[in-house]
Amino acid sequence: MLARSSLRAARSARSISSPTVTSDAQRNASSQSSSESAAAWKSNGLLASSTLLAVGSVSWYYYQFGRPTQAMTPAEEGLHAPVHPWEHTKLYKTFDHSALRRGFQVYREVCSACHSLQRLPYRKFVGSFMTVDEAKALAEESEYDTDPNDEGEVEKRPGKLSDYMLAPYKNDEAARAANNGALPPDLSLITKARHGGCDYIFALLTGYPEEPPAGAVVQSGLNFNPYFPGTGIGMARALYDGLVEYEDGTSATTSQMAKDVVEFLNWAAEPEMDDRKRMGWKVMAVTSVLFGLSVWVKRYKWSNVKTRRLAYQPPPPNAQKQPGSVFRR
Amino acid sequence: MAGVLGGIYNSIVKRNAVFLTTIFAGAFATNIIFNIGADSVWDQINKGRQWKDIKQRYMGDQEEEDE
Amino acid sequence: MSLTKAATTALRTLPRQPAIRSPAAALVNQQRNVSDASTSHSDFKSPFHRGTTPNHQDTTVIPSFGKYKNGTETGNKMFQYFMVGAFGGLSAMGAKNTVQDFLKNMSASADVLAMAKVEVDLASIPEGKNVIIKWRGKPVFIRHRTSDEIKEAEDFDWKQLRDPQPDEDRVQKPEWLIMLGVCTHLGCVPIGEAGDYGGWFCPCHGSHYDISGRVRKGPAPLNLEVPAYDFPEDGALVIG
Repeated sequence: MLARSSLRAARSARSISSPTVTSDAQRNASSQSSSESAAAWKSNGLLASSTLLAVGSVSWYYYQFGRPTQAMTPAEEGLHAPVHPWEHTKLYKTFDHSALRRGFQVYREVCSACHSLQRLPYRKFVGSFMTVDEAKALAEESEYDTDPNDEGEVEKRPGKLSDYMLAPYKNDEAARAANNGALPPDLSLITKARHGGCDYIFALLTGYPEEPPAGAVVQSGLNFNPYFPGTGIGMARALYDGLVEYEDGTSATTSQMAKDVVEFLNWAAEPEMDDRKRMGWKVMAVTSVLFGLSVWVKRYKWSNVKTRRLAYQPPPPNAQKQPGSVFRR
Repeated sequence: MAGVLGGIYNSIVKRNAVFLTTIFAGAFATNIIFNIGADSVWDQINKGRQWKDIKQRYMGDQEEEDE
Repeated sequence: MSLTKAATTALRTLPRQPAIRSPAAALVNQQRNVSDASTSHSDFKSPFHRGTTPNHQDTTVIPSFGKYKNGTETGNKMFQYFMVGAFGGLSAMGAKNTVQDFLKNMSASADVLAMAKVEVDLASIPEGKNVIIKWRGKPVFIRHRTSDEIKEAEDFDWKQLRDPQPDEDRVQKPEWLIMLGVCTHLGCVPIGEAGDYGGWFCPCHGSHYDISGRVRKGPAPLNLEVPAYDFPEDGALVIG
């Protein structure tokens, strides 16, 4: 539509301007004398040099300030994680909730020794991968502070569904002290917080080599992982074949556990994903039908206007104009 | 065909109040039917992945609960 | 590009409104571009005119648009009303869901709802004792009343009170009195087993409540509020 109208405009513009342009050019050519050619060369040279100056200053400025800067070399950034075809990231797929259940088991038995999951309350597990009774039993395993009683003393009580998961360490300082100064990050939003998301975490968990490659410098207390920025990571390899025993009989290989725990962590970061996708499809379906209808209704309402034709018919030259008479046709 | 359409026209469209009422009633009915249909398609695509498909395994001997 | 072009042509040809533009008119249009507009009138023949000479013409003739029509009148009309009605109906559906979602945002969020219920074990409260628990940030009084207290609360002539209310309206089981521990005057927390009537006494401005939590003396305008609660089984209480 737009292209057509612009073409039309261009055509009309050409038809208007072309005769005048050619006649101007002819006039210029005929009236130009050799004495004026020096002045024309001068103005052309001015134009060329000012263009050169503009382009040159822009490119100089870009060279100085416009180029992207990298704080780290590619080696220091870490290896880029290979992209895997995650089933749950497809636009029309929910999380596999049995994988979430397995992934939570891996988190509980392996990761939770160091990593917290503080933004998740136990009630979120109900209806996602746990029954009410299982979640209640899980909550009661941890102890929480009560509100101050009449004497102002704070007591301990078993956890409830409304409580949030407890961290393995009391605070960040305790976590650092227990881990050689490295702070294990909270995992609640980790798939959103790391470049590469699921792929990065999966690559990190499964990417520990048997021993660091020749020439790699590994500081004491650190472990080598090519996917971690800087390649020296405080966390040692955590997942080994058969480390946990899945209750549904899935064989617990390293990559299976990594895949399950990554899907669980993605759920922890985006527990609303299932509903979001389902709702998104509904909205897309309704709005696309609505768009088609609105196009039809627009054309319907405008059809009278668009097909209207206004014609002016001047009176015939021999008609007598008289004061007060109406000319009818 | 024309008779049926004429009947619909005379009974629904001719009076604006009736037409508007029909539109809003139809909107609510469409909403409900569309939600049910879209959800069933969604559940069909994601069969076996959602909690409601696998929870029977873990409810086990417990009595049926509402979530 | 070709896709959008095909789509626009398809949309254009879809409704096919009666178009007055005829080949002759198009010709006139083209000629008008090259020649002066004032001389083109002789080329244009209006369908509304029957007369042949320009000076004697009849304007009352309605031309036939038959060759531009397709479908029956009722059918076309029903199609048009259906399209417009469906457009309005789907828009109404979307508007309803949008408004509903905004209203849903105003209701309590999931973490508030999770805290909104409190379970209490009643077996640990002996007869004639008060227990104060916290519920939604407010104290809740739970009193295990003795039979004498129940009798006193029920026999009292409640119609003469400032906020008249019989005892059976304030309790589900007569032995358990459950109410919010917030004085209805200015929001202090009353003291239990105190006051002139053996119930609660507010230390701030001296309101006296009886053993059913009804105001008997002092500035408080209303009785102590009773929250929603339930006994799911014997010896268990759920407030909220």
